[in-house]
Amino acid sequence: MSNQLTIFLLLMFSQALVPAAHAAPDAASCLTCHGAMQGSMEKEKGVIVNLNIDQDRFSKSVHSFLNCVECHMGFTSQPHQAPAARVDAAVQNLANALSAKSKIDAVAQAACAQVQCHGDVYKAYKASVHGQNVIVKKSSDGPVCTSCHGSPHYIQPRTGKDSRVNHFNVVETCGSCHEEKHLTEKYKFSPLVMERYKESFHGRKLKLGHSGAPACSDCHGAHDIRKAADPASPVSGANKLKTCGKCHPGATTKFVAAITHKPLHPVAHYAELGLIILTVGTFLFIIIHVLLDVYADIRDRLFRKGGNHE
Amino acid sequence: MNKSIPTEIERFDLSARIQHICLFTTFLLLAFTGWGLKYAYVEPSSAWINIWGGARIAGIIHRIAGIGMLCTFLYHQFYLLNLWRKKDLRLTVVPMPKDVMDLIQNFMYYLGLSREKPKFGKFTYLQKFDYWAVYWGMVIIGTSGLFLAFPVPASYLFPTWSLPWIWDTLFTMHSDESLLAIVFILFIHFYNEHLRSDVFPMNWMWLTGKISVEELKHKHPLEYERLFGKNAGQGKR
Repeated sequence: MSNQLTIFLLLMFSQALVPAAHAAPDAASCLTCHGAMQGSMEKEKGVIVNLNIDQDRFSKSVHSFLNCVECHMGFTSQPHQAPAARVDAAVQNLANALSAKSKIDAVAQAACAQVQCHGDVYKAYKASVHGQNVIVKKSSDGPVCTSCHGSPHYIQPRTGKDSRVNHFNVVETCGSCHEEKHLTEKYKFSPLVMERYKESFHGRKLKLGHSGAPACSDCHGAHDIRKAADPASPVSGANKLKTCGKCHPGATTKFVAAITHKPLHPVAHYAELGLIILTVGTFLFIIIHVLLDVYADIRDRLFRKGGNHE
Repeated sequence: MNKSIPTEIERFDLSARIQHICLFTTFLLLAFTGWGLKYAYVEPSSAWINIWGGARIAGIIHRIAGIGMLCTFLYHQFYLLNLWRKKDLRLTVVPMPKDVMDLIQNFMYYLGLSREKPKFGKFTYLQKFDYWAVYWGMVIIGTSGLFLAFPVPASYLFPTWSLPWIWDTLFTMHSDESLLAIVFILFIHFYNEHLRSDVFPMNWMWLTGKISVEELKHKHPLEYERLFGKNAGQGKR
């Protein structure tokens, strides 16, 4: 309740503070309020909107040159008075398709797809398994741009250290869905796919900072990602030979069978178990042996004078 | 009795000492770089690997050291062949039924059930175990390591039916048996040759190759008897 009061008061003040309130607002005018506002509000049932924009982080993002209303097209005047502005038909159509997933501002989400912005990426995404799931099947749990890239307000270059989709962070980003139990069951993802990747040489080397180690998107593609079973997928059939061959020249069908991300085969499992038993058994033997030797050494020196040397 | 007994004798010749240096240098390099990969998700592995120049350089060091160790191992086989050709090869390190008896006797001594220590020959059962562990390691860790280092050619060799499990099995063989080797060296070898009260801080034999006859008599009495006769040195006491 006090939150709403704060917002109200802030709105009152900003009305007075901002000159030319009815001109097309630039980012600075929006940030007058949203840079200072804290907390969040409930837009509709269960949809929480964070009202704060961290100005410092926004100014360092690749989108810092944009005005808010270039994406948040529904707002023309400030503070957001009805009626909403007219939105480009293509953006509005896409926004309608995304509305099941993108509840806060579907128009702003759809704005990414504009030709002058990320039109090419959108084309690839729309054809991908992710895009089809969201746009055609209107699924509420498929990924839209911000699901992987994070908030567009703070978005970093793909090569940036903090980017969620950079070479070293993208595995965790994919894992945020592909490791989720309910999504794995719903979409029949390969179970343990993340775990099996992480324990592979590829995953381990990536963790240690090997820039040549492949992350998910290096083999599976990114915006244009397909099901592995889709003939267009870079990891399906003959494509897999080419994909593996990028790093492993001479890769054959026999070679590419090495990477499946499938759960451990029983033979490998029991081989591992056998080796663990052997290892632990040997540990126990040598530790007992050393401890007994220490014990006998001390005993001999204390109680059997020179006994050790006879 | 009549033979004059020297104060020390050569236990390891120069070639054996050099082989030992090559073996432990490559072993340590392999263990240091491999450990970071085995426990990649346990910090401070990333920082540790950065000390070695990052994952890429550490990988190259690991491969070079691995090939160095395989070469040392191969060289050792030629060394043995040469000893055999010169009729100098004694099968002192071959496990014998006596080693089992020595083990039992040693545990009885440790536990106070017997006052008699086992009488070891040139090599004790633990030293024999140590020696043959290298062969086991070469077969299990060396071959799996070669396959993992050259996965494309290796895949041509594997039958199709083995493909669903062979890589995971090779990985486990390489990583688990390496851990076994490291822990074995850390406990048995470091204890016996560094920490044990009579050798601390280390047994200098790895540099000098020499063992004092006194030590030989205590630790390897059968070898002492073979060299100097059963009653040798009795008068000294």
